[in-house]
Amino acid sequence: MEISEQRQGAVTVVKPGGPLCQAEAEQFASRLDEVLTRTLGRFVLDASAIPYVDSVGLESLLRITNDLAESGRSLRVCSANETLREVMDLTGLGDRFEFYEDVNTAVRSFL
Amino acid sequence: MVSPKPAGAVAIRRGPGPVAAAAGLFGLVLLIVVGACLVWSSATAQDVASRANEERLRVITRMLAQNAESILTAESPRTLRTVLSEAALRYELTNCRVTLGDGTVVADGSPHAGPAAADLAATLPSIPESLRDHGERVEAGAYTGVTVIGIGARGEAVLEVSGPVGAPLARAADLQTGAALVGGIAICGLFLSWRSLDRRFRSLTALRGLVLRAAATPDARAEALRLGVRGAGAIASAWNTLMTERDELRERACLKEAIEALGGGGRSESGGHSAVDALWLGVMLLDREGKVHYANGAAAAMLSVRREEVGGASFTTLFPEADLQATISEVVSGRSRNRASAEIERVGAGSGAEAERSVFRVSVKGLRKEDSAVALVMIEDVTQQRAADEARNAFVAQATHELRTPLTNMRLYIETLVEDTGEDPAVRAKCLNVIGGESRRLERIVGDMLSVSEIEAGSLKIHEDDVRLDAVFADLKADFSAQAEDREMTFVLELPPKLPVIKGDRDKLMLTLHNLVGNAIKYTPPGGAVRVIVRLEAGAVHVDVTDNGIGIRPEECEKVFERFYRAKDKRIGSITGSGLGLALARQIARLHGGDISVRSELDKGSTFTLTLPSTDVVAIVGAADQRKAA
Repeated sequence: MEISEQRQGAVTVVKPGGPLCQAEAEQFASRLDEVLTRTLGRFVLDASAIPYVDSVGLESLLRITNDLAESGRSLRVCSANETLREVMDLTGLGDRFEFYEDVNTAVRSFL
Repeated sequence: MVSPKPAGAVAIRRGPGPVAAAAGLFGLVLLIVVGACLVWSSATAQDVASRANEERLRVITRMLAQNAESILTAESPRTLRTVLSEAALRYELTNCRVTLGDGTVVADGSPHAGPAAADLAATLPSIPESLRDHGERVEAGAYTGVTVIGIGARGEAVLEVSGPVGAPLARAADLQTGAALVGGIAICGLFLSWRSLDRRFRSLTALRGLVLRAAATPDARAEALRLGVRGAGAIASAWNTLMTERDELRERACLKEAIEALGGGGRSESGGHSAVDALWLGVMLLDREGKVHYANGAAAAMLSVRREEVGGASFTTLFPEADLQATISEVVSGRSRNRASAEIERVGAGSGAEAERSVFRVSVKGLRKEDSAVALVMIEDVTQQRAADEARNAFVAQATHELRTPLTNMRLYIETLVEDTGEDPAVRAKCLNVIGGESRRLERIVGDMLSVSEIEAGSLKIHEDDVRLDAVFADLKADFSAQAEDREMTFVLELPPKLPVIKGDRDKLMLTLHNLVGNAIKYTPPGGAVRVIVRLEAGAVHVDVTDNGIGIRPEECEKVFERFYRAKDKRIGSITGSGLGLALARQIARLHGGDISVRSELDKGSTFTLTLPSTDVVAIVGAADQRKAA
């Protein structure tokens, strides 16, 4: 799975290009771990190209947001599609993340 | 490999300890006793061997005497000589002969002796008394036996037998070499045992001292009670690990107490939540010694240290900045209770351009004297604010510069018009032309700036609707064909047979394509070629805008997307441009969930690729539909 990164000011926008399932989810989680360490948590997950997630993908997202919660933050997700939001709501994990309409709004939340 | 001695570790004392010295002395005495035993046993063995040899020679002498009597009585001396020769050879005799009373040798067994007497006389000379008295004697390690033998009625003769009684020299040398070898091995073993014992006892002695010190000073830290690994090996390692674990447990207990004291209903270290831990604002409490009494997770994360390591650490190690250290020292020492703040910069993981720069605002405030903590330190991540400030300042500076150029031109030509009073129609037309051109340039710059500003402010919205890409590219061809023809350039549009209808903002997508194609035509010399190639892939539409123009230097490929950036190439100095077009195009592409990338080679041309997601394809429109739409 291709994972692109863009810098907007001091914020890194991470954009995975595909569903978060099984091996891809693990690859994505390790990449996000590296970004978390490098940026001190100043990053946004652009979910516009994630069509769906499975349990492994959900677990990796949850682990990252839990790591961030250790220092009073949570994972900022933007441009998530309806499927992703529904999965989060149905599993009761929606309140563990911060959702934003688009990348710019998410980036501006760091101001 | 020699392990380095940790700072502050207790070194193992040099020189032997009392127990090891006693063990060494005991070993030495033992060695002397063993040596003496070896010497005594060697002498005894020698003596026993000599006695056995002597007895053996005595028996041989008697046996030869009996044989000589019977042989000389019955046979000739030649037979006796043969017998004596064999006896001398077999029993290693140095002398073995039979002589008569007058000294005549009847038969001699030694190898170099002469032949035996031919025959004996009928009457033999008598044996002198001096020979009879000889008997047997042992002198200088050699046995000599003299026996008078009777030869029938003829008379008597004397048998003389000599041979060595001591052990052979080679055998004694072997014995001594063996003893020396055993002794040497014993000495080496003893020395190694002594060394090992000595080392073990020295480390145990040092360990005993540390245990006593730890008992006397329970608050001593592991560094002060560390044992030098050199010479102590596993014992020192085990002890040092024990001390480190003791410190960690103690620090965890302190941290737990601090959290409980601070938060009341707050979280314990293992779980739960507290108000302070839920903040993305680093909070630290310092005690009177300037050590961290408590730190929340955000503080540890911002300072890039593990939370377990923050407790008990000195603020000087966490904040190496001298100015900040001075400020915190003022508060910790009680000389100031006012709030003070400073900004610090930290470079995170990564190297070179990839390294993340973070800016933190650190505020320090004194607390009440009766509290266990004397200073409150708050750390705030202001990196994004600083980046925004820098971007805003750069934007204003560049905007001022870009606006000034057309305004200056307009002012100059207006002044010319005023001075000329409009008498010369050619001058007036030229001035009005320039003013008109510059005002349009101004309008374009302001328009671009407004769009970029809207994007920066987050207020630029995409009005999503169905966008027929076939119609978009038809318009694009119509817009640029004439312009390309004027410049005698080839303008080619390569489209697939069918194009999708995607979700997006048609006007903004047109603006993006206009910027890309307009740049390609603008920066390609007359006679060149511009090709727009549309490729459809799974989930994406790629639009390649390729020219064979002046190209971009590799180091400038990413910079051309920055606002107001214009390449340093001298050839573009005469070409007008605000430096906002590509920045705007990329932002619009990103708002659509896509992006713009560039591949370029100087003097050969560039290819800008616009990628748009086509996951929400409304329809696929073919050539027939395209004609209908037209």
